[in-house]
Amino acid sequence: MVMRAVSLIVLLLAAGLALAQHAGHPAGAARVALGASVAFDVRGALWAVSSGDNHVLLRRSADAGRTWSARLPVNAVPEGIGAEGDARPKIALGPRGEVYVTWTKPLAKPYAGDIRFARSLDGGKTFSAPVTVHTDRQEITHRFDALTVTRDGKLFIAWIDKRDVAALGKRGQYRGAAVYFAVSDNQGASFRGDFKLADHSCECCRIAMLPRDDGSVLALWRHVFDPNVRDHAVGVMHADGRVGATHRVTFDAWAVDACPHHGPSLAADAAGRLHAVWFTQGTKREGVFYGRLRTDGESGVDALRRVGGDAAEHADIAAAGTRVVVVWKEFDGKRAKLRAMISDNSGDSWLERDLRATAGASDQPRIVQHNGRFLAFWNTQQEGFVTVAVQP
Amino acid sequence: MAWHRGVARGALPLLPFDATSLSALRKTHAGRPFVLAFWSVYCEPCRDEMAEWNALKRRHPSLPIELVCTDAPSERALINTFFAKYPPGPVRKWVFSDAFSERVRYAVDKTWRGELPRSYFYDTAHKPQIKSGKVDRGWIAAWVDKQQGRGR
Repeated sequence: MVMRAVSLIVLLLAAGLALAQHAGHPAGAARVALGASVAFDVRGALWAVSSGDNHVLLRRSADAGRTWSARLPVNAVPEGIGAEGDARPKIALGPRGEVYVTWTKPLAKPYAGDIRFARSLDGGKTFSAPVTVHTDRQEITHRFDALTVTRDGKLFIAWIDKRDVAALGKRGQYRGAAVYFAVSDNQGASFRGDFKLADHSCECCRIAMLPRDDGSVLALWRHVFDPNVRDHAVGVMHADGRVGATHRVTFDAWAVDACPHHGPSLAADAAGRLHAVWFTQGTKREGVFYGRLRTDGESGVDALRRVGGDAAEHADIAAAGTRVVVVWKEFDGKRAKLRAMISDNSGDSWLERDLRATAGASDQPRIVQHNGRFLAFWNTQQEGFVTVAVQP
Repeated sequence: MAWHRGVARGALPLLPFDATSLSALRKTHAGRPFVLAFWSVYCEPCRDEMAEWNALKRRHPSLPIELVCTDAPSERALINTFFAKYPPGPVRKWVFSDAFSERVRYAVDKTWRGELPRSYFYDTAHKPQIKSGKVDRGWIAAWVDKQQGRGR
């Protein structure tokens, strides 16, 4: 009995060791960071970034995730890569096959970070040395990078920034943080910035960005409305640094001083209607929600719908034509399920699908589309990168 | 599984918290109130809450406060640096020992989606008052008074 118990422990230790080594970590080192991002290029190849051993790791799949290339380190010199909660490396592809990658490099001071950028102009074979995107070099919060490329090839990078808090010092109180951004119109050779999109964002949620036909970028983020209501706002960034007014779009009344690490997602259908998913624990409603942003000059959403059950979390959304797809994950007591809801009439009615499940740790899922073909992407500890084609 | 092994070394022991820990705590604290508080080194409001736990422990040394860090045991150095700078007082300190964090959260509270800080104030019957975000000092004081009124 004792021998059997000892053997079991040895086995378990060996399994743990194998798992840790498989993931590229020395045994007993950091929790396997599963935070990953994914994007299609214009030809329909799928690109993913994750992190390991202080490198952003790039992989490419020509067959929608059935097989993947070997991992290519984006940063030659190791450095910290934020990959906890809503933080993770990001990837976007340019119209001429440019591969753009951003991440947050944590600094020694708590909550401080730099937004880092590297690019490849040779199809992901080699990457430029990483640069810090913002001109502000204080050791303060510049975190939760978001990255997108407009149709005309301009690169927008936005992030959560606390310089306005630092500027006030002890003289005053500043609600939350701010959203700043920078723009490149030369394939990331240089950036213009730092432009402020909005004061008073939440401190630790991802920012959703959506390029629009006129070359501007619409952002959706968790805001801190006076005094501490963490509902959502939208705002427009222009390539020359101009910004539109901030509009409140969710009214859930979540008054809290907390880190949700649970940012929103945003997509546009062919008719330009805007579809969003977000999380709240407000007094009006609790859970993950879908809604169409009002574009008639009124604030708020219509077609409001709850996403999943009580354990639903980390939804993502994509749209093409009149089809809208939402994916999220939901723990059922034993396994984490990857679930989807699909609408073929721009969010008026929906059907739900269970896509996959895992009995181990998993990342937030993502949904991406290319030419109207939707693909769910999920990084799991046990099965690695999981991709599932999503259709009704 | 592998992560428990990292916990033994280092100056400050962090107890491993997993999906079985709350039911064990309920037994340990049977018939008396306790506080279960979750936090992370990456969460700014959590930093501000440490002083509240410290003050509560000083005023009510016999009230058990179980303080659970949701980061990995491998973050021990960072966690200890944090405690040195923002001391929570003589509370019992834990760290998530299961990478499958949904499983741990579900065992505590099926509706908790991971926002931090997250605190559970269990009365003598172990019915919890649940708080997301930094808990107000006045609210804590009122809760303690209520527990004492019930014969603590």
